[in-house]
Amino acid sequence: MIAVLGTLAILVALGAAVSIVIIGAINAKGGQRSALTIPVGVFAVSAFATFVLLETAIVTHEFSIAYVANNTATTTPIVFLLAAGWAALEGSIVLWGLMLALFTFLVWRRLSDTDHLGVVALAVMGAVSVFWFGLMATVGNPFAVCTEAIGGFCAETSWWPLSDVVAPTDGRGPNPLLQNHILMAVHPPMLYVGYVGMTVPFAFAIAALVRGDVGREWLDRSHRWMLTAWVFLTFGTVLGGWWSYEVLGWGGYWAWDPVENAALLPWLTATAFLHSAVVQRRRGMLQAWNFILVIATFSLTILGTFLTRSGIIASVHAFTQSTIGPVLLGFLAVVVIGSLGLFAWRARDVSQAPRLDSLSSREGYILANNLLLTVFTFAVLFGTMYPLIVESFTGDEVAVGRPFFDRAAVPLSLLLLLFIGLGAVAPWRVASRDVMWRRLRTPIATGSVAAALVVVVGVRSVAVIIAIGLAVFVVAAIVMRFVAVVSSRPEGFGVAARKVLRNDPGYWGGQIAHIGVALIAISLATTNGLAIRETVTIDRGGTAVVGSYCFSYIEPFAVSEPNREVTGVRIEVLDRSCSDVRKVLEPRINAYPGTSQPIGTPSVWTTPIDDVYLGIAGGTANSVNLNVFIFPFQWMLWVGGFVVVLGGLFAMIPRPSRTARLETSSIGTEPGAADA
Amino acid sequence: MPERARSLVAIAVSLAAIAVVVVGIMSTPAAEQTAAERVDSLSALIKCPFCNGESLADSGSGVASDYRALIAQRVDDGYTDREILDEFAGRFGPSFVLDGSTNRWSFLLWVVPLAIMVAGGASILAMRSSAVGREVNTP
Repeated sequence: MIAVLGTLAILVALGAAVSIVIIGAINAKGGQRSALTIPVGVFAVSAFATFVLLETAIVTHEFSIAYVANNTATTTPIVFLLAAGWAALEGSIVLWGLMLALFTFLVWRRLSDTDHLGVVALAVMGAVSVFWFGLMATVGNPFAVCTEAIGGFCAETSWWPLSDVVAPTDGRGPNPLLQNHILMAVHPPMLYVGYVGMTVPFAFAIAALVRGDVGREWLDRSHRWMLTAWVFLTFGTVLGGWWSYEVLGWGGYWAWDPVENAALLPWLTATAFLHSAVVQRRRGMLQAWNFILVIATFSLTILGTFLTRSGIIASVHAFTQSTIGPVLLGFLAVVVIGSLGLFAWRARDVSQAPRLDSLSSREGYILANNLLLTVFTFAVLFGTMYPLIVESFTGDEVAVGRPFFDRAAVPLSLLLLLFIGLGAVAPWRVASRDVMWRRLRTPIATGSVAAALVVVVGVRSVAVIIAIGLAVFVVAAIVMRFVAVVSSRPEGFGVAARKVLRNDPGYWGGQIAHIGVALIAISLATTNGLAIRETVTIDRGGTAVVGSYCFSYIEPFAVSEPNREVTGVRIEVLDRSCSDVRKVLEPRINAYPGTSQPIGTPSVWTTPIDDVYLGIAGGTANSVNLNVFIFPFQWMLWVGGFVVVLGGLFAMIPRPSRTARLETSSIGTEPGAADA
Repeated sequence: MPERARSLVAIAVSLAAIAVVVVGIMSTPAAEQTAAERVDSLSALIKCPFCNGESLADSGSGVASDYRALIAQRVDDGYTDREILDEFAGRFGPSFVLDGSTNRWSFLLWVVPLAIMVAGGASILAMRSSAVGREVNTP
């Protein structure tokens, strides 16, 4: 029954998406918002119904549906049951469709009654939706019924919901990795909102190109959507790193895995766009470049999905392999060739106004960082695709992994930090040497002192020293700028600070995000450059010293949980002299029925100075092999990530109208201060 | 404090701090990599067989720790890094060495992004000079 309803909901949504395209196109001249009310409404409701029906099937253990049988079991806890609704291929497309419908609805709600650009943009979103719901209706049907079961696994399925179904008595359960930690239920939907949200700026860009209306309107209308999507993508990526760190037990948070790169690539281009869009709005430059960035960002989200879901690249994230690979690749080709063709057709109308008064100016430094972000994108994209390219041209096998990406990312990131610091304080148009020096002399001194302190405490890694020096320079430059702008106002500091922030949330939100980036840089430097990694064998009752900690193996333990068997060891963490117990940690290993590979869960103790991270590497009846990792300032990575998200959220606060700004503004504000 | 004094203090503090950094780095002789460090960096360069593309350093699996032990053995026996990498490439295939060094075209990984950097930098410079040129031309 659910299979019938679900299939029906998908078909209705598909039909509604088709009608959004057709009505949007017919209505392009009139631009009537009301013409799209019914199709958008039907689309939103049926996409929501599709999602709810799939979740209902999962929660009620409807094992006659292949997706439910192959990805859940009766013993799966409820949180992971719900998460199973998007954890595997077909379900993830359903969630994608739901997000797309949500964004379509939100864009529709914000249209004015007669809105030429908006109506065409909705038609573009409709076209993208036709693709995704078309996938659900064909090769990625989440409601395909089970026609032949082997154990809990559905070996044969049928698209037709009224076929003779076989329902296994219990399902296979989710991939163990996907039911090991609560963050797994949260991190992918966040990424999806980010990914799917990037469809909106793309739709406005394409609509502007189609209409030949390539001025500022599309940019003004898509900037905020991009910011929203970017905030979610950032949040999802940080959560993903955190999950990897807390669950996977290798002590890391970023492995340059193809799928991680797939999330990073659109993030890089979206970040570049958020900055270059400001340059266009303030200075009228970079019109063409902004189109390219938005098209690239959307294309990279599709490429990312292709890499994740086609199984073409071996990856810890590639949980499913299926036939949708070629379809996604075809869609990607249509998107890239179609939008670049459209862009080339309109290229003459996209006016280039190369008016860079001085390289040393806000826009000059933003341009420099745009270039660095672009090179970063290319390096990561090329490195990720390189094995495929080489194999298809020469037949040779080759791998590109962490060693290459780390080496490429370090110099690029250091340069990015430098220009963040310069751009944050530089006025628009021309930043004279005098102004820059006055604003930067104290931050330069502060950063240098920080670097010296790092050397004094014994660090000799040049990359770590430079990274920390630059990060402190960035934070100091921003904080001092804020203090200078606030103190130049007549009110008391608190009142003035609030007014300064409220008058320009875009600029100050950006600076908050930059402080977050600096914190991340510090943590990346210390956790990569100064980490201690050792594997020790400890007998029961014995101790081992690693870094400035002593570890004592107290006892093993075992717990039986409904969906898994947990075995672990109790380890006391003591001070270096092994006399003072500071903390008890319990790293464990979880065995899930039906899978041969047990999943380790590390145990982490976070102190203000470092993280003590224990994972079980093996052992015998009376001893344990422990992976002991000590990561200085690991917490700063997560805090930095959340500060970046906070900055993005702050930047979304609407700017007060010009008159309101003038009323609260005062005489003393320095030029180029609150004008980002 | 007058402007000039502030500038002088900032310059003095910065130079002193940078001197500390430079002296600190120069006075520490470049330490030979220890055997354990070599094992770590080699493990990061070699893909773990049967581990979904993770490196030997990143994977927590038993297979990975077995191969890390093998690398430690080779390092002990006096093999060079290249010999160890080539042994793994020979045994499992060239795609098990993660820095691309087994392929002769891999220099492109560096050349292509660098070329984009140079081209992009040149076009930013061009944006400036054309503006200057126009200013000269328009009265």
